[in-house]
Amino acid sequence: MLNKILISHNMNRRAVLAGGSALALGAMAGLGGAALAAGRSVTLADIGVGDPGGDWSKYEKATGNKVNLVSMGNAPSAVTNQLIAGGGQTAFDIINIVGGMQKPLVDNNLIHKLDTGRLANWANNDFIQTYLSKGTPGFDFIGYGDDIYGVPTILQGDSFAYLPDETGDLDSYGALFDPKFKGFVSLEDNYTTAGQKTALYLKKSGQAKIGDPADMTPEEIKTVMDFLIEHKKAGQFRVIWSSFEQAVNLLVNKEVYVMDCWEPMVFVANSKGHKVRYAAPKEGYLLWAMAAYIVNNPDRSEQDMEDTYKLLDFMLGPWYGAKIALLRGYMTNPGVIAYAKSHSDEFSAEEAAKVASITENVTAKFAQGGTWQNRWPKHVDVYEEEWQRFKSA
Amino acid sequence: MKLSRRFALTRLLVLGLPLLVTAAFIVGPLLITLAVSFWRKKGFGMEPDFILKSYELFFGGPRLEVLERSLWVAVSSTAIMLLIAYPVAFLVANRVRADLTRVVLFLFAAPFLVNYIIRTFAWADILSRTGPVNETLVWLSLTPEPLDWLLYSDFAVYLGLVTAYMPFMIFPIWLSLSGIEHRFLEASWMLGEPPWRTFWRVTLPLSMPGVFAAAIFGFVSAFGEVAVSLILGGTGYQLLGNAVSSALNVLNFPLAAAISSVATGMMLVMLLLWYRLFDIRLFLGKIMGRN
Repeated sequence: MLNKILISHNMNRRAVLAGGSALALGAMAGLGGAALAAGRSVTLADIGVGDPGGDWSKYEKATGNKVNLVSMGNAPSAVTNQLIAGGGQTAFDIINIVGGMQKPLVDNNLIHKLDTGRLANWANNDFIQTYLSKGTPGFDFIGYGDDIYGVPTILQGDSFAYLPDETGDLDSYGALFDPKFKGFVSLEDNYTTAGQKTALYLKKSGQAKIGDPADMTPEEIKTVMDFLIEHKKAGQFRVIWSSFEQAVNLLVNKEVYVMDCWEPMVFVANSKGHKVRYAAPKEGYLLWAMAAYIVNNPDRSEQDMEDTYKLLDFMLGPWYGAKIALLRGYMTNPGVIAYAKSHSDEFSAEEAAKVASITENVTAKFAQGGTWQNRWPKHVDVYEEEWQRFKSA
Repeated sequence: MKLSRRFALTRLLVLGLPLLVTAAFIVGPLLITLAVSFWRKKGFGMEPDFILKSYELFFGGPRLEVLERSLWVAVSSTAIMLLIAYPVAFLVANRVRADLTRVVLFLFAAPFLVNYIIRTFAWADILSRTGPVNETLVWLSLTPEPLDWLLYSDFAVYLGLVTAYMPFMIFPIWLSLSGIEHRFLEASWMLGEPPWRTFWRVTLPLSMPGVFAAAIFGFVSAFGEVAVSLILGGTGYQLLGNAVSSALNVLNFPLAAAISSVATGMMLVMLLLWYRLFDIRLFLGKIMGRN
């Protein structure tokens, strides 16, 4: 009923809320109406990776808008539930999550098709053309069907971490299954990472016939899980980790020597004075990208949409990209190296060198290739069922 | 007449509102969950139906093992917790000075001032290969190398469960024990029964409502546990709560609802047993300060 009234008066819920809040604040501060004409607030729901240290001043200065950063889960259920049942469809403007979720999000009408012409930084981002263009596996991280839905905010290639003092140099996922490290190996509790890396290893080492590790048939999934179960029963794995802190602790406490994990965990462990390396496996990497999607809010005004696009464009820009690269250790966009180098007032020489090193490192990973992570494979139910079988074996 | 009518109205309001809230926020969602468990998964959503597919998937797949393990872990950990909680509650009820009882009971609640997840992670650090327990054992030459089974094992899971939920079980048992009439114990003594027979034939039976209440607290908590098994359990130590999360991750809401309904049903059976076996009003009366 309220919605109908609002629509009939050509208003939306946000305008009413914003107006109400502003009036309340104005009344409290005794300010006049002129002071209330400040910019809007664009709500960005993020999984904890897209926050540039709380500093949105460049965006706010350029647009007059504020960024309201809220946290959200990255699991498919968390994303869809927050959007459908959690009120996210009206509360969030953008969600910044690991890409590849377009199918459930588009099929449930939860995200908005992108008009890339409204993003000034889109055309000059040659990472998109190189790694994520239509017809390549990377497109599945930002597009669906013929359309584009996600702005790529991060690109990365994952492998595994190891303690070189305990294991020597390692260059194959085979280390995860090497009896030499029995009881000192850990996997992530995720079939799209641990399962897919195992599939890549089995395929490349010729131990199993697997067509596409990113989208396996039910028989192929079973083969991979049988392999994992065999090693689990032999005592190969110490633990299956499920949180960032847990994974870092496993490395720094030397609870495990070889661990299927994300690169930032290695950065954190090294920053604590431990010697941990992120492997460059000969089989290649698990490639993935984060995508920022516009949430499909039917009540959003054109002005709100314009502000949302401005924030997306800012997230494609070099300052934001360099900041995120520094904070998280991920590659972001091609403009960051030159920007960090030429803006010594914003980035020190050391920071600029670090941004360049991270970008070159990830670029090399993409050049080597591997398999693109598939967050929503065709037989996702079989993946889940088989992963349950592995975990309860 | 008028007064009794007003009394009836007041009673209806006072009791009706909580009942309504309970129905709306507890019974209602449980019924919806039960209904959804029979629905059909369709794409990324679901549609109303009456099929048993989710139950077939649950009882026919690896999750049945998870259910069996969850049951075993919940039952056995509850038994262990009772074996610890009962003597503690007995000592508090019979050996601690009345003016100190509150302080002692508060001490049992003190660990809960620290977040439960942080406490569980702390156990992982304490029990790890390079943690203080293993370092001490090796330093004392009690073991030549760190003990692997201290962490990511059944031992670690049971330790996590016992330390997380056992203190909760002390309170209902203490409540039952402290409400026992001393005249009964004195009568037993005067009839020449030794202390252990008095305990066995008088104290224990009279404290059973509290014991069963404590058992329900322990069982329900352990049965639905997620964090302890994840953090301390090792290679995919799956309990039922983890299976629900996993089904939700692929948006299989009917399956998650079926698992939840089975778990709820089992807990309901326990509550019914409690209701049938003991006079629940006696126990609640003690909580309310009435005998």
